Amino acid sequence: MNDQDVIDRINSVFENSFEIDREKLKPEMRIFDDLGLDSLDIVDLIVALQKKFSIRIRDDERVRQIRTLGDVHRFVLILKAEGLVSDV
Amino acid sequence: MKRVVITGMGAVSPLGENVASMVNGLEHGKTAVRFMEGWDQYKGLHSLIGAPAELKNEMAIPRQKRRSMGRMSIFAVQAAEQAISEAGLSLPDMTSGRTGCILGSTMGGVEATNGIFELLIPTKDLTLLSSMSFFKCMSHTAAMNVAQCFGITGYVLATSAACASALQALGMGFELIRSGRQDVLLCGGAEELHPIVTATFDILFATSTHYNSEPHLSPRPFDEKRDGLVCGDGAGVLILEESEHALRRGAKIIAEVIGYSTCGSGEHVSESNRQGILNCMGRALKDAGISAQEVDYVSAHATATLQGDQAEAEAIRDIFGASVPVSGLKGHMGHTLGASGALELIASLVMMQKNRIYPTLNLKTIAKECEGIWHVMEPLNRKVDVVLKNCFAFGGINASLVCKKWS
Repeated sequence: MNDQDVIDRINSVFENSFEIDREKLKPEMRIFDDLGLDSLDIVDLIVALQKKFSIRIRDDERVRQIRTLGDVHRFVLILKAEGLVSDV
Repeated sequence: MKRVVITGMGAVSPLGENVASMVNGLEHGKTAVRFMEGWDQYKGLHSLIGAPAELKNEMAIPRQKRRSMGRMSIFAVQAAEQAISEAGLSLPDMTSGRTGCILGSTMGGVEATNGIFELLIPTKDLTLLSSMSFFKCMSHTAAMNVAQCFGITGYVLATSAACASALQALGMGFELIRSGRQDVLLCGGAEELHPIVTATFDILFATSTHYNSEPHLSPRPFDEKRDGLVCGDGAGVLILEESEHALRRGAKIIAEVIGYSTCGSGEHVSESNRQGILNCMGRALKDAGISAQEVDYVSAHATATLQGDQAEAEAIRDIFGASVPVSGLKGHMGHTLGASGALELIASLVMMQKNRIYPTLNLKTIAKECEGIWHVMEPLNRKVDVVLKNCFAFGGINASLVCKKWS
């Protein structure tokens, strides 16, 4: 799984779980203000990412710093670099 | 006390997606009962038939409102939307604080509850749980979701008395409007079919088990070959409204609610009780200020259990003798449990509008213990001005509601 695969998989979560059009999925999009998610959706985003990448991030403090879709991409890519992401 | 009228009705039933399709099914003697694929994987489940409603068009509900809805809440929202539309209510009505919502169910969202068990029991991992799990399974999930979806800011309540839930919701709505606490209430119930739900009756020998290969022949209320209930699902919502409020805005009035009673039998946790039913119907008639002779149709609970049908038939005989037509609709729609009171009341009000009583489907030979009342076995064209609807539930809970043509 290369970095683009990671980004595509993350974007597919936004498309499938939150029904957001692919065209809107740009890195600079703010998750709350631009993509329309709220605090409850963040819980489900975490659950979906955990399942998608076989990771455990619910208690990871870095999740709290996420503001944009690009932040999500970078966060998961860091986990991949740390060897924590499985190709499930 | 204020007068309470019904100004809108909505139904998602095993017979179809709206009131018209439900009535069409009743008119043509259709049954929605069918064999449930996959249920045979459950060891010890003997009844493999059900009457499911069809889940459709749910994507029309915006995601952020839909995300907290399980199957029963989607049915409830769709039924509520139909009822609101028929009543001609607008957004300001919803947000006035004088409009509320009371919707019952047996035990909330069963699919979501089962989903939590299936996830947590093998993994014991809470981090897998969706934020929406609890919102979909809690006992007031239908009421909460309908209130959120339509911006309702008045009373939001959820009755929970198993198969009497919807009728208790309607009765409570009647009392809240009659006493002046609310002007408009969306009342009814919702339920979702699941093998676990059928299993709760199955392990008590209360389900129909002899018709798995001929589902259309069951349930058979009051019939000598009845062998138990068949579960179904769906939602029914009625708009209850203070009469002056309805008249002021020019609403079309479908009927008036004139009497209600609910009571416990205080005897047995699962068996229907003749005296309890008798008390309930008698008090509802007294509340309505009418005699038994003034009732034109009794919409029976009639689940097709051996003991329940007998107790109800005996109680109806005690009050009405054989002078009032009686039928039950579970042969067509199965037992929609927490939705049944609303769906069957809606059907009864349509019968009132048409002056045409639909029969008890699958009632071919009246059981001896259920004799002595006027069983409607074929469609009956007859004046229907006053309807009494019964619902009974586990725990010895009884509920009866009386409605009358508006004049």
